[in-house]
Amino acid sequence: MPRHVACSVPGGMPQVQTRYFGSMTYREESVFEFPAGLPGFIQEKRFVPIEVPQHSPLIFLQSLAQPTLCFLSFPILVVDPEYRLAVAREDLLALALNPDRQPQLGTEVAVLALLSFRDQLPATANLMAPVVVNLKTQRALQAIRQDQVYSHQHPVQPRASEQLC
Amino acid sequence: MLVLRRRAGESLLIGDDIEIEVLAVSAQGAKIGIRAPRETVILRKELKITEKQNEAAAQGLGPSDLERTLQKLRG
Repeated sequence: MPRHVACSVPGGMPQVQTRYFGSMTYREESVFEFPAGLPGFIQEKRFVPIEVPQHSPLIFLQSLAQPTLCFLSFPILVVDPEYRLAVAREDLLALALNPDRQPQLGTEVAVLALLSFRDQLPATANLMAPVVVNLKTQRALQAIRQDQVYSHQHPVQPRASEQLC
Repeated sequence: MLVLRRRAGESLLIGDDIEIEVLAVSAQGAKIGIRAPRETVILRKELKITEKQNEAAAQGLGPSDLERTLQKLRG
C-alpha cells in the first residue's frame, strides 16, 4: 500500500484544499494520475491519497482540482482478504503493466475499493470496479471487472479495518 | 424481458434504425455488433453502474458524520 501521508508540515511543498482536513501540503510524487478520470468524473485526473492515523486503514482520495471531491476508500484486502484481481487486458495495457498476467497486489499495484455511505445503511464498497494504481508510475484507473464475481455495493463489515494493517 | 435465441450471423432490429448482430459466440462470451445512429449512446452496463456508484461515493460524509461513521466501521 502507498504510504504517502499528506501532512501539514510547511516547506515549499504544494498545497491542496481538502474536503475534510482543510489545507494540506502533499508530495507531488504521491499523486495518483488518472489519465482517463473516473467514470462519472472524467475531468478529474489527479488525486492525492491521504492517510490519517486515527482513521487507518482508510485512504482519502482527494481531488486536486476540486476541494469538495474526496472519495473514501479502503485497501481492497481490508474489505475482502480473499479478493482476487481480474483487471481487464486493456486496463493493464493502459497502466503499462504486463497484460498477460494479473499484477502483484501491494508490490506492483495498490488496489482500493471506493466506499459509499447512505443514511442508516451499512457502508458499501465497490468491489466490482476497484481503483488500481501502478506503484511504479502512480498511474491509476478504475478497473471495471467484466465478470459478475463481486458486487458494486459490497457491505463493509464493522471491524473490517482490523483484519489487516 | 423479451428473450430471443439468435445464432452467430443473425440480427435483431430495435425500432427503425438500431441493428444488433451476434457476430460470434464462444465460451468466453458473445461478440455483438451494433449499428445505430451516431447520436445513440451505447455503454457497457457496468460502466453506467460504476458512474452511478461513483456519484454516490462522491457524496461522502458530512464533516460531523465522519468521526461517527468511521467509528461504526471500526466496530
